[in-house]
Amino acid sequence: MALLELDDVSKAFGSLKAVDGVSFKVEAGEIFGIAGPNGSGKSTLFNIITGIPFGPDRGQIRFDGLAINGKSGHAIARLGLARTFQRETSFDGLTVFENALIGASYGKQEKTAVAARDAAAEALEFVGLGSASFGRLAGELSVFERKCLMLATAIAMKPRMLLLDEPASSLTKPEIETSIGLIRRTAERGITILLIEHVLTFLMSLSQHLLVLNNGRVLAAGDPAGVIADPRVIEAYLGTRRSAA
Amino acid sequence: MSALAEILFGGLFQGSLYAMMAVGLALVWTTIGVFNFSHGVFMMLGAYIAWQLVELGLPAAVAFPIAVVVMAGVGWILQASVVRPLIGRPNIVLVVVITTLAAGSLIENGALTVWGPRSKQIPALIAGNTTIGGVGVSLHQIAIIVITPLILAALWMFLNRTRLGLALRAVAQNEDAGHLVGLNVTALYGLAFAIAASLAGLAGIFMGGYRFMSPVMGSDPLLKALIVVVFGGISSISGPIFAAYLIGFFEAACSYYFGLYWTPALLFGVLILTLMVRPEGIFASRSRGLA
Repeated sequence: MALLELDDVSKAFGSLKAVDGVSFKVEAGEIFGIAGPNGSGKSTLFNIITGIPFGPDRGQIRFDGLAINGKSGHAIARLGLARTFQRETSFDGLTVFENALIGASYGKQEKTAVAARDAAAEALEFVGLGSASFGRLAGELSVFERKCLMLATAIAMKPRMLLLDEPASSLTKPEIETSIGLIRRTAERGITILLIEHVLTFLMSLSQHLLVLNNGRVLAAGDPAGVIADPRVIEAYLGTRRSAA
Repeated sequence: MSALAEILFGGLFQGSLYAMMAVGLALVWTTIGVFNFSHGVFMMLGAYIAWQLVELGLPAAVAFPIAVVVMAGVGWILQASVVRPLIGRPNIVLVVVITTLAAGSLIENGALTVWGPRSKQIPALIAGNTTIGGVGVSLHQIAIIVITPLILAALWMFLNRTRLGLALRAVAQNEDAGHLVGLNVTALYGLAFAIAASLAGLAGIFMGGYRFMSPVMGSDPLLKALIVVVFGGISSISGPIFAAYLIGFFEAACSYYFGLYWTPALLFGVLILTLMVRPEGIFASRSRGLA
């Protein structure tokens, strides 16, 4: 059974169909990539799945066989579905350690304070934020460190599935390389990963399955190599060649 | 010497009451982003519930804690009934001003109907008087001056040293991210209101042992608490605490040198000056956060 299953999911804002009849399945243990140009509905799709700040207008979302439409955001998170944002950290005014501790305390809800602190420290060390940075305010971190902190906060929740929203955006090439390694090692912990990115090379190096969105609809889905060779995908990304007048 | 002692003592006493009130207002603002205009009524209700319990024969040491716990429930219910349904709507700040004013008016008039307009008084925390620096003071006032910083320190410890306090501080910064890490934001909003109402109720009990109580006894402290939070800044809870004591000293000095009638005008002068020079408050940072 698929860990996450979307069936004919739609979301409209007035006359704009941000997500339009999207269906796909993510199997447990895989890295599933979602690509698409800016404004194609990728982040809206993440909002719909996590229920924050809104769910779908139509369609079914099932996590581990359980329908999660209409469930509150924190209830979905506690089922084991974590999410990171593109840029901002979760809680800028809290320290690095407190950010991860929140994840450890309220995601999987570690029973004791000691267990939560251990889980937070382990997650931070895992992403490369050593104990020297524990006391720094999250708002003072660099973009790359913020992304690492968001990942650590999510990992501290001990999720079954992690939704990563454009982890490569605003990063330098070496930082992107580090991110790729980090995401691979995160998947090796047994966490299923759903990844949004518009940088196709980043997705190609990580994903076992790839889905491309355009104007809120699924343009192509399947094996990554096959998907990027699809002429409709090439057209969505690069446009069509104008015939000479 | 006695003038200085009088101002110092008056400032500490008034500052303690204002701090208890202002911290509750700031707690609700920083977590939910709304201003609770029924906060003064919480103060009155806490005092009346304590008085009623004492009248029923309970010793003050039992009645007062019960009243504080009941006020936590009242705060939770008020939040669930007139604030929570409006969260996420446009102009929520203005709308909640109206709904909390309306709820406060209902509670105030309810108290008038149940307990009547006649002034009442509850037992002092400690009976008796003493003299400090040539100024005669009640032991009740001294108890308030000593207890208030302990309560505020306990609140600080709760917010900064416990996981639940950390959750409150987190949700005050980013509600959406709070949901995503598994925080029950609705429950935390209720908790913020419950703590604020308890503190206001306790301030009411403190005041009811010192002055006569009436159903409108919360109006003036609410006004003073508003001045305190505007002066100190409402984006944190430490700002209003410092500001409460400063305003307390300022009020005591004004009362001593210019008389009681000029004091409110001078206080509002400070408020207007603060709004002109540093509208976010003198101790405030520009972002919301419980620290």
